[in-house]
Amino acid sequence: MRRLLTALCLVAASLPAAAQTPRNTAVLMREIDADRYDPVRSTARSAGEVIYMMSDTLVSMDWDMQTIRPGLAERWEVSPDGKTYTFHLRGDVTFCDGRPMVADDVVYTIKRWIDPATRSPVAWRAGKVRDIRATDAHTVVYELEEPFSELLAQLTLFFASVVDRNSVERLGANFGVQGFNGTGPYCWESWTPRQDLVLTRHPNYRWGPPIFENRGPAQIERVIWRVIPEATARLAALQTGAADATQYIPNVALDQLRRVPSVTVTTQPNYLWDFYMAFKIDKPFVNDATARRAMAMAINKPALVRAVWFGHAQPAVNIVNPVALDYDAASDALVPGFDPPGAMKLLDEAGWVMGSDGVRVKDGVRASFLTYGINTLENERQSEIMQQALRRIGVEMRIQFFDATVAWGRMATQEFGAVFLSYPYFSAGDALNLYFPSTQRPSPNRMNWNDPQTDAWLAEARSATDPAVRASALANVQRRLAENNVWITTAREQLFVGASNRVTGARAHGLYGVGLYKALDLRVVR
Amino acid sequence: MSAALSARPSVLRLVFRDVAAAAAASFLLLVVLAALFAPWLAPVDPYETDLMSVMTPPGGDYILGTDGQGRDMLSRLLFGLRMTLLMGVAALVVGGVIGVSIGLIAAHWRRLDGVLMRLMDVMLSFPAILFGLALAAIFGPGLVAVVIALSVATVPLMARIARSTALVVMAQDYIEAARATGMGSFRLIRRHLAPNCVAPLLVFATLRLGQVILLGSALSFLGLGAQAPTAELGAMAAQGRTFLFFAPHIAVIPSLAIFGIVLACNVLGDALRDALDPKLRP
Repeated sequence: MRRLLTALCLVAASLPAAAQTPRNTAVLMREIDADRYDPVRSTARSAGEVIYMMSDTLVSMDWDMQTIRPGLAERWEVSPDGKTYTFHLRGDVTFCDGRPMVADDVVYTIKRWIDPATRSPVAWRAGKVRDIRATDAHTVVYELEEPFSELLAQLTLFFASVVDRNSVERLGANFGVQGFNGTGPYCWESWTPRQDLVLTRHPNYRWGPPIFENRGPAQIERVIWRVIPEATARLAALQTGAADATQYIPNVALDQLRRVPSVTVTTQPNYLWDFYMAFKIDKPFVNDATARRAMAMAINKPALVRAVWFGHAQPAVNIVNPVALDYDAASDALVPGFDPPGAMKLLDEAGWVMGSDGVRVKDGVRASFLTYGINTLENERQSEIMQQALRRIGVEMRIQFFDATVAWGRMATQEFGAVFLSYPYFSAGDALNLYFPSTQRPSPNRMNWNDPQTDAWLAEARSATDPAVRASALANVQRRLAENNVWITTAREQLFVGASNRVTGARAHGLYGVGLYKALDLRVVR
Repeated sequence: MSAALSARPSVLRLVFRDVAAAAAASFLLLVVLAALFAPWLAPVDPYETDLMSVMTPPGGDYILGTDGQGRDMLSRLLFGLRMTLLMGVAALVVGGVIGVSIGLIAAHWRRLDGVLMRLMDVMLSFPAILFGLALAAIFGPGLVAVVIALSVATVPLMARIARSTALVVMAQDYIEAARATGMGSFRLIRRHLAPNCVAPLLVFATLRLGQVILLGSALSFLGLGAQAPTAELGAMAAQGRTFLFFAPHIAVIPSLAIFGIVLACNVLGDALRDALDPKLRP
């Protein structure tokens, strides 16, 4: 009996030790995994947050989300006509496998990104490239067909991360699945999908963005990106120290978490991440612009956002956030406010007659549509509230959500009438160029928005050298989209990064929605 | 008529002599009534969202509080009972009818016995949850997929019990006598075989109802069953689990309801077995 007790005591004593993460390893938690970690083949934040740590871009983004800072390029020049960029690279950069990085690697990376064969959904972000060439081992000339005012900001995004040609060619379609080779502060060790992605420190790293106190090497030997889908489990892990940091904190827990002494929460005011429901405007029922307007009027956005985000997000009006560059205030006025009786009247007048089952009908078409989305907590909650709001005006919204690993594929199909998504951007031009050119169909232009006038305005804005011309062209697009109620933008999220007292230096960054960016200042202190 | 049917009054009395069984039976009756009359008992529409009072705790305007979308928990509980019981009973009836038929056929026509029972062995080896997942992947998640999965899980169990009971009955003299009078096979099964197998099947069905409800709730909890916004106990518990720290009532109330129903089924099933077992009779 005594032996048993002793054994029990030993087990009890060893439990906390077993739960403890090994010294100099940090566990970062997230809600969902990505389908792959190839910079040019994924647009998911869950891919970006790891790619930023494994690789670098030519230029980096400051905490203010506007100032461009050096990255792999220590300096650069732009020609007066805005068409030629010359990047001067650092001479001391090496890949994780030890090979020195030269200008040819940058050229290869960008060319691979924009190569039509790569079918990158974000190739447009590189601008209309005429040619990219290396003039010597450390100089890259980036030549455009027409000026692209946002090029440098676009080049801070992880899609432009410099990758090693040999690894890409060796792994083929499995690059970013079976391995990775970049120049980042951390190197790929292993990936168990939907579980752990393990990174190890890049020992030679010295070229971190100047916004970090520590420019390299990283202060932590191993970083484990762990997928914990349950919000409650993430919270518990953060509070018990089983994991060290996460930006995926349920809004309901924020106030309580801020009062926990062992946890620090940092935020980032210059953060743009919006939630929306987009209509596929050529599907039955949702192809009716009046019906879309009525649906926009049925939803009480302030109440919805307060209920779902517990006061930690702002209700949205039109597509672009008021703090973003080239936001057009007049377009907000074109989005109808909350007015259910008005919505009923609009549908009645348009000939949508209430059926016996509470769903309207017109010419044999039911006022019913299917929505797709990723099964996140916010999506589930906001969609059910919207479903009920629409039911009140005689519209049936059917919800089908998927796990993140299959959702992206399903959302690229033509099977649905609307889709719930959320996304990061840094300006009106960035957001609108991502979603609304006709060339972006079927994904990410899941709306099938095909409007020559929109395309013309977007082209005008992209190549404008005069900021006023650009702003006015983008304002036209924002107004046109507001008039057509292509989206119901619901919430503008804020970024919160929670960290346990085992670590310091977890400051919220927020580029492309990514909380920790390169995490160079992250340090294990216990 | 048969022995089982003529013994019914005394069985009921035996069951109700047991206080726990009587309580369980009353509880189940109450649950069934609540589910049947849910549209009249529910204070508000179970789908109506009140965005001004999200996650209010029990007590106050909403007796059992509201869920994460501001919907009345009491109304959702009543409608959830309805959906969960419907799912359980439907699965039990479908699985039971098919299973008992297979069991009786196997017992009566012994040549089919081997084939049918091996088939049941195959079905028994399917985990119900995995089967439900496969069905949901093929037909899309929904109550129908869950009912099919639960029925398939019930068929082999019912068939096994029906067969073993029927084999004992088949050896009785009165079957021999009925055969001697020239009674046809179907009439024999219907008049003599089936009624004499009722008692153990009834016991098993009562116990199985609890298991089916538990399994069905588990499938719904995993998101394979009732889809949003349908109120179903398993799905409600799943929705509430995220807020377990902040508004425990959202997950606890439907979970308690599942717990109560399953416990009551088990207690009642046990009492029925004791009452129907001639060996235990005083």
